[in-house]
Amino acid sequence: MTGWHLDDDTLRRYVERVDSLAEGASAEQHLLSCEQCRARVSAAVDVIDLAAVWDRTRDTVEVPRPSVFERLLRVAGLPGHEARLVAVASAFRGVWLVGAAAVLAFAALAAVAGHARGLWLFLAVAPVVPCLVVASSYDPWLDPALEPELVTPYPALRLILLRTIAVLALALPAVLLLGLVIPGEAPFAWLLPAVGFVAVVLAASTWVSPLRAAIAVSSFWLALVWLLAALSGSPGAMLQSRAQAGFLALAAASLAIFLVRRRRLHQVRPWR
Amino acid sequence: MDSRPGDATLLLAVAERDMGAFRTLYERHAGWLAIRLARRCNDRDLVADAVQDTFVAVWQRPQGFRGDGDIAAWLWGIAIRRLVSRMRTRRSVAAVFENAGAVPAAEDQVLLSVEYGDIGQALARLSPEMRAVIQAVVLDGLSAKEAAHLLHLPVSSVKTRLYRAKAHLRAALAEGSS
Repeated sequence: MTGWHLDDDTLRRYVERVDSLAEGASAEQHLLSCEQCRARVSAAVDVIDLAAVWDRTRDTVEVPRPSVFERLLRVAGLPGHEARLVAVASAFRGVWLVGAAAVLAFAALAAVAGHARGLWLFLAVAPVVPCLVVASSYDPWLDPALEPELVTPYPALRLILLRTIAVLALALPAVLLLGLVIPGEAPFAWLLPAVGFVAVVLAASTWVSPLRAAIAVSSFWLALVWLLAALSGSPGAMLQSRAQAGFLALAAASLAIFLVRRRRLHQVRPWR
Repeated sequence: MDSRPGDATLLLAVAERDMGAFRTLYERHAGWLAIRLARRCNDRDLVADAVQDTFVAVWQRPQGFRGDGDIAAWLWGIAIRRLVSRMRTRRSVAAVFENAGAVPAAEDQVLLSVEYGDIGQALARLSPEMRAVIQAVVLDGLSAKEAAHLLHLPVSSVKTRLYRAKAHLRAALAEGSS
């Protein structure tokens, strides 16, 4: 603010870039501290479409910053737009995972307390949590954002598998950790059933909505556990290797069905 | 001087997520930043991208301004580095100077020698390549590595040209004063 300003000629040469290096440098030094001359220069600008750049800038900053999870996915090597697609699933907005973790924590606590029923509760709940979370991660009813995603030319199969893997990567460690605090060999008995149910939900979602499939599978499992508990009074039956092999076969068969029928995934609308 | 909020006030409002203040800041500064960037890079799209990156960075970290000096200088520091990083990812674009070959008219020469003395003429006599290095390192304060990205040169070339340009200027000034 010295009272000295760029004269019109210098300013024109600067904007038109026909000045010398020394003159330009002098003008630039002055511009840094002179608001009036900056305004004069800005008024003469035609190098870029400032209004269009403003629109893009505003659009960029108005999009919420990527969540921790989304950034994690990018670090894992997923391209930006795919990381966004995977991360916008409602299952990752926290509520679902927190709810699932809370249910499991109660079940684990009950089991640690040495209560036979507590162990049953854990075995009943733990295997169905992953498939419920997976279903909620791509059910169009829970995730309205999914609809435009699926009408955009994007392989639904890839999206759903990516989300499933992401869900399992998040949910399994939590359930595993809880399982560790439970005494005996029961902690890992739920693992194969859980994988089997996820596969069943994926396969069933080629016919019905994933959430309905998950609810059906869960209800079936709860009824089965309840029946076993009523009949034998000990969770031993589930730990037998024959039962575990059955769950493995279930997982493999369901996955095969899912892959064979994967084209049906594109028909999202009939679910509604 | 008048009732318009200063840049520092605007920046505080931007930190409070005030989109109106952000827009005012953009309108005040995007223009001259664009011109100054365009003097260093011919590609208009890259300049536009760099301006956008600059303001996105301001929105995300307005507290990056520590309250010393001009906000304009702070913005320029961000803008030139954004341009450098855009240039780094776009190898095909050449950063050349449209005015590299422009020779000031005779009357301008007189004005220049009045205003800047011998240094103006000495600078004008530098080759465009040397001027580009002087501009990037001496005037814009970039590191040799950043200048190398901006000009698509090896770092060693930047250092060599800078050394030669300084020697050239020193000789030219010594000659002028004798």
